[in-house]
Amino acid sequence: MKILIVEDEIEIARNIQEYLESENFKVESANNYHSAYDKLLQYQYDCVILDLMLPGGSGLELIKTIRKENKIQPILILSAKDSVEDKVKGLELGAEDYLSKPFHLAELLARVKAIIRRKSSAADFILRYKSLSLDLENRSVYVDQHNLILNRKEFDILYYLMLRPNRLLEKTTLIESVWGDHADQVDNLDFIYSQIKNIRKKLKEVNADVDLQSVYGVGYKLI
Amino acid sequence: MIAILLIMAIWAGLFYAVLMDEVYDNIDDGLKNQKIEIIREAYNNSAIIDQNKVFGINQFRILPSQDHKDLDKNVFSREFIYMPYDEEEEPYRILKTGFYSQDGLPYLLEIRTSTVEEDDFLINLAISLSILYLVIIISIIIINQVVLTRIWKPFKEILRNLSAYRFAESSPYTYKNTQVMEFDELNLRIEEMLHKNQLVFLSQKKFIENASHELQTPLAITIGKLDLLLQDPTLQESQINKLAEAKQGLHRMVKLNKSLLMLSRIENDQYKEIEKVNFNQLLQQLVVDFEDILQFKNIQLSLKEDDTFVVDFNHDLALILISNLLRNAIRYNKDPGEIDIHISKNEIIIANQSSSEALNPDYIFERFYKGNQDPQANGLGLSIVQSILLKYPNLSLDYSYVAGKHYFRIKNT
Repeated sequence: MKILIVEDEIEIARNIQEYLESENFKVESANNYHSAYDKLLQYQYDCVILDLMLPGGSGLELIKTIRKENKIQPILILSAKDSVEDKVKGLELGAEDYLSKPFHLAELLARVKAIIRRKSSAADFILRYKSLSLDLENRSVYVDQHNLILNRKEFDILYYLMLRPNRLLEKTTLIESVWGDHADQVDNLDFIYSQIKNIRKKLKEVNADVDLQSVYGVGYKLI
Repeated sequence: MIAILLIMAIWAGLFYAVLMDEVYDNIDDGLKNQKIEIIREAYNNSAIIDQNKVFGINQFRILPSQDHKDLDKNVFSREFIYMPYDEEEEPYRILKTGFYSQDGLPYLLEIRTSTVEEDDFLINLAISLSILYLVIIISIIIINQVVLTRIWKPFKEILRNLSAYRFAESSPYTYKNTQVMEFDELNLRIEEMLHKNQLVFLSQKKFIENASHELQTPLAITIGKLDLLLQDPTLQESQINKLAEAKQGLHRMVKLNKSLLMLSRIENDQYKEIEKVNFNQLLQQLVVDFEDILQFKNIQLSLKEDDTFVVDFNHDLALILISNLLRNAIRYNKDPGEIDIHISKNEIIIANQSSSEALNPDYIFERFYKGNQDPQANGLGLSIVQSILLKYPNLSLDYSYVAGKHYFRIKNT
């Protein structure tokens, strides 16, 4: 899977690149309008992570121009501005999704994977890990043949954990991804604990070979 | 102007008095003159003494008198005496005096003269002065009104323009040319001053937005680095904990930044689109979203809907408004606790139990004010609520504390 990062802040680009490469993506980057334009014309990427504020032209302009050249590629917009108009305009111009800075890298990964999944020809909506399979389209979870009944939040939690098996997913990231903005500013993040407990119980009930492990109280990982 | 009127009144009074004095002096001089001529004639022709025992054509009379010390002293007086011409009593000036005849006998001499004309004259004078005085007063008033009104009209217009000027609107200060140089200059200076102030105002508005915008990038970079660090599988527990705590600290900054940015955007009118927002639906959705937290914190929430609360509002702002209030109700609640939400056609009441006492309504909307120090709260929640409501003057928010519960009430007037 090839990703293009278009971002003028070197450190941010580096952060994203390192993270995605650890997930076995091939990553290229461009740090201004023109080099991004050249790369997009020459190559095809599975996802383009595009910052809207670029030297040499705006990210929205880039989207428009690329469309005119008929080189449509799946785009995830990044922006520090957080303005509603940019978001709407970007999506109208054909971008797949929008993420505002600062963001969790795990969240970025989830969205990139979602975009790739949407765009791939194979109906690859099923995540698998060991005996666990998660069907995104039908929102169902199976351990071997057993169907796990999960509520909406439990399903989302499991999904995020399955995106990066065996890797630590912090509580804060998980909560923000699943509950959105409403969940922040609750002084104690442990309300997620009951959801985790439920998921573990259900996995145990079907003798699954996967489990959710708490990592030093900081987060969880799928093992 | 009152000073002028007073001075004129005094002058008129003095003028009248002086004139009156002069007139009577003249009359008295005339009488004294007559006295001299009568006495001279009496010395030459003593028959006069006997012939004038009554006031006849001569308008004087001589009567024998007792001798006394002040015989020839002049005494003036005023009497009313019947005049056949006018068939009524008219004023006379009378000089009573005395003299010694050639024989040395004492006599009383009374000389009188009619002062009808002079009195009439003085009355007319008084009337004329009064009329003149009135005319002058009226003229001054009229001139004051007309001329000064005309002169001050451009000035009044300047005052009107100034009071209508709003910094928030970008329309410039406009004015017409007046005929008066000084007012034109005033207009010019005002325009410069307002323009400068407008620039300062705009740059201050921009400052918060720019500052938070600039802060987001280094925050994003640092959070990213910490994210990457946390991926390292060889880390020990203490290291992971410290990294996670560091990230949390940064996240507080991020949230603070976002809140400040939102405040700035709200005040800059960047949330402009208005639609009919159904607050009932918003609240229902939020209650579902917050379900897990409510359960975790042992809070009973009741949502009572008597009617639907629908107003013209910006959808995003409405969501922020309600969720901020609800979040506070959750955060500052007891364990176990209660939240009661009551929606009617023109009112939404959010009430929550609390471990704290009554809040001070003067302070709670101040930025960064936190009643009970909750480290996760940034103190901007209610400020944002207030900023939002300021944009909708037909909505108001009030707070009260009754029987251990905080009541926040949004009213549509």
